[in-house]
Amino acid sequence: MIITNTETIAGHEIVQVLGIVQGNTVRAKHAGRDIAAGLKNLVGGELRGYTELLTESRREAVERMMAQAQQLGANAVVNIRFTTSAVTAGAAEMYAYGTAVVAQPDGVAG
Amino acid sequence: MDTIIQILIFLFLIGFCGLACGRTLEKRHYRYIEQRERQNQGKFLVTQLKSFPALRPGGKAPKVMMSEVVIGSDYLKTWFSQWRNLFGGEMKSFRTLQDRAKREALLRMSEQAQSEGYNALGNVRFSGADVGGNTSGRKNKLHFAAIIATATAYDANVS
Repeated sequence: MIITNTETIAGHEIVQVLGIVQGNTVRAKHAGRDIAAGLKNLVGGELRGYTELLTESRREAVERMMAQAQQLGANAVVNIRFTTSAVTAGAAEMYAYGTAVVAQPDGVAG
Repeated sequence: MDTIIQILIFLFLIGFCGLACGRTLEKRHYRYIEQRERQNQGKFLVTQLKSFPALRPGGKAPKVMMSEVVIGSDYLKTWFSQWRNLFGGEMKSFRTLQDRAKREALLRMSEQAQSEGYNALGNVRFSGADVGGNTSGRKNKLHFAAIIATATAYDANVS
């Protein structure tokens, strides 16, 4: 499945637009990681626990979005966007959304 | 006695955590970022154009790249920012924090794209993230820059 954050896919032609697909997740790290982040906040540097949290959430949200696109019979998702929002302390919501389309490479007669 | 201990703890946080660790980590990070940026120069193209003009015919299909980075503040930066908040003006210590997070996110995407055989990024976007519900009235706020970056990787004609 081709996923891009542009409205078109370079080198491909969009033959059918199937509509919006979305995926979201709310994830948290265990309290130990929160405490570690608090300590790291004294000396500075990357808060790896929270980077990991975002990576995991993003993966899960995109997977759910792709599953939905597959169900619609799409072979590509274009113009995908992410937003995050605060749900509760220590957790992050990641929301991924895009437009499911059917695309084919340029020059293929359809 | 209690006050003396408090002052000692404060000096330790400012001196050791802020000046010694924070400054060193930031300088080291900047060196690392600059070194990797030089490596990419001329070899790897990054644009935020929505449609990419110079696609290599018959190359790989475009693919989305994503990266996320959370860079924490240190005690000294946080302390400076609190003073700055009283008088107003530019928070220089947080500006470098945001700068590092964004450049690091961009580099991670570039590296991921290169490892998958692409040589250009188009439509680069950055957005801030809220991890840990920091904006929703948490008592002991953490100070950090959390960035999610997305871009589309292309197999392009880069000369």
